[in-house]
Amino acid sequence: MQQDIDISVDFSGIKLANPVFTASGTCGYADELSDFMDVKSLGGFITKSITLAPRKGHPTPRIVETNSGMLNAIGLANIGLDKFIEEKLPVISQMSIPVFVNVAGETIEEYVAVAERLSSEKAIAGFELNISCPNVAKGGICFGTDPQQVREITTAVKRACGQKVLMVKLSPCVTDISVIAQAAVEAGADAISLINTFTAMVIDIETRKPMLANRTGGLSGPAIKPIAVYLVNKVYREVTKDRGIPILGMGGIRTASDAIEFIIAGASAVAIGTASFVEPACAVKIIEGIKKYCVSHKITQIKELVGTLSE
Amino acid sequence: MSEKYPSLAKGPFNAVVSSNRQTGERLYRLRLEFSGAGAESFAKFKPGQFAQIDIYGAALPPAEKIPEGLRDASGRNILLRRPFSFADVDKQGIKTFVDLLYRVVGPASLRMTTLSAGNLLSVIGPLGNGFWIPQNKKKALLVMGGMGAPPLLHLAKVLSANYPDIEITALVGTKTARELPFEGRLDEISQQLEFALREFAKYGAKSMLATDDGTAGYHGLVSDCLSQWFASSSWARDTTIIYACGPQAMLAKVAEIAKDKAIDCQISMEQMMACGIGVCQSCAVRCRVNGSNETVYKLCCEDGPVFDSREVVFSS
Repeated sequence: MQQDIDISVDFSGIKLANPVFTASGTCGYADELSDFMDVKSLGGFITKSITLAPRKGHPTPRIVETNSGMLNAIGLANIGLDKFIEEKLPVISQMSIPVFVNVAGETIEEYVAVAERLSSEKAIAGFELNISCPNVAKGGICFGTDPQQVREITTAVKRACGQKVLMVKLSPCVTDISVIAQAAVEAGADAISLINTFTAMVIDIETRKPMLANRTGGLSGPAIKPIAVYLVNKVYREVTKDRGIPILGMGGIRTASDAIEFIIAGASAVAIGTASFVEPACAVKIIEGIKKYCVSHKITQIKELVGTLSE
Repeated sequence: MSEKYPSLAKGPFNAVVSSNRQTGERLYRLRLEFSGAGAESFAKFKPGQFAQIDIYGAALPPAEKIPEGLRDASGRNILLRRPFSFADVDKQGIKTFVDLLYRVVGPASLRMTTLSAGNLLSVIGPLGNGFWIPQNKKKALLVMGGMGAPPLLHLAKVLSANYPDIEITALVGTKTARELPFEGRLDEISQQLEFALREFAKYGAKSMLATDDGTAGYHGLVSDCLSQWFASSSWARDTTIIYACGPQAMLAKVAEIAKDKAIDCQISMEQMMACGIGVCQSCAVRCRVNGSNETVYKLCCEDGPVFDSREVVFSS
């Protein structure tokens, strides 16, 4: 009976076998989680953020657990574009599922350079633009907090990325996330992913110092889920629904029930991040749970469920 | 990653709690039983490797049993697995038993105290590299501080079983005698510098004990005991090796002593971990690069937790 359930997704022209991705920064560059699950069974995969030059990342402590969550300040530690191409692309081309490369940078030129170089690689389905980075050229103001900068960077990368799908990943640390989503969409984004982490802090009350070496970090995990669901629904209603632009929803998803909330809120697909640290095969279990929900609720195609939050 | 451990499944496996005994003030010994694929994998667990254990489902003790200093901390929900090494690994037929020593210091260890026989715990592992035993060693010094002791206890067992020619000396450091992570030792502890801790004596190892506050053994740091051992024993550079596990400050001092004596030394490092399986990049260890002033970050969970002491850059 489960064969009759179609949980495939058309995500901006890319066919996904199911709506479940693993989120950037939680699954390596390619098949690092294959000791624990069949990576080929995922709907999609998003790589760790790649920057033009390799980055060492921040000093430790880089993480701290919070109540139903965690802070991270990894510092975009990554092997850089050259090593990514040399070592990881060959593995990615064997993965046979859609792979998005998450791109980060300090200047628009850096983002464009990465996108340009990878735009002709068959193995890659698209890019996820990590705009939660300080724009060094504009005094370190985060790209993702300024609609004008979002417009500029999206336009520039869209020009460079050829046929690849361009997905812009939104930071929730803004006054009105719909304004940012709008800017990205008007500038040519093919898809929107949200949310990235919330800037947060934990203090050691004995030393009176922040727990993280970087002082602040991004909060993720179950604690942020209700905010993420609200913001996904907000962007869906106010920006993407009428334009037919798909949303990749994420933020604290641990179970199939969590994922279904995001889909009802307006996400065409979901991404699992922090939960994979605790349960590496979590994403696969969620795929099975989504199928079960569809069977028990007599849903024959998952797209019937997208954005069905009652008004 | 699969190339490193091609034949070992890493789980998660459901281990069954066999026993959970209090052995001292806020000190417990948890015995877990693996069967099936978990038993096969953990039978091959090497001293110095670790496992990621999910404490999420364990319950808090009743409020009146929570030490006052941990009351506020107890309110925090557990999200992430916790890394533990094992003090003993015992293959019995188709089952493998492992012993884990823990001290109650926070919300996770507090919840572990309520585990009882029959409870299931999800365990990922074996993880990490473990201690390695180079050829031609005659003397092994196992230097441990506080809760750094368990993996070295396991190492003593493996050395005594597989390398009977290696003479083992355990140097145990702790803040105060009460916190010694071995059972009921107070009656055995003498004020002499050298005596046999039962846990190590059963592996044919001599011991030296140091307490910060002088409540037992040598009054001072275990790294000072190590220096004293070198000053008062016969040893040769190429046939002596140090294995160390404990607080960063202790490891830094031990690394210095090893460098000064030009002796092989392996240290087990510790860093906050989220995943423990190499994807989150949290557990960075700053390491020297051969032949340059550059440093790189390696991962404690994958490249370690055991490192050659010459490699590690300690923050001042």
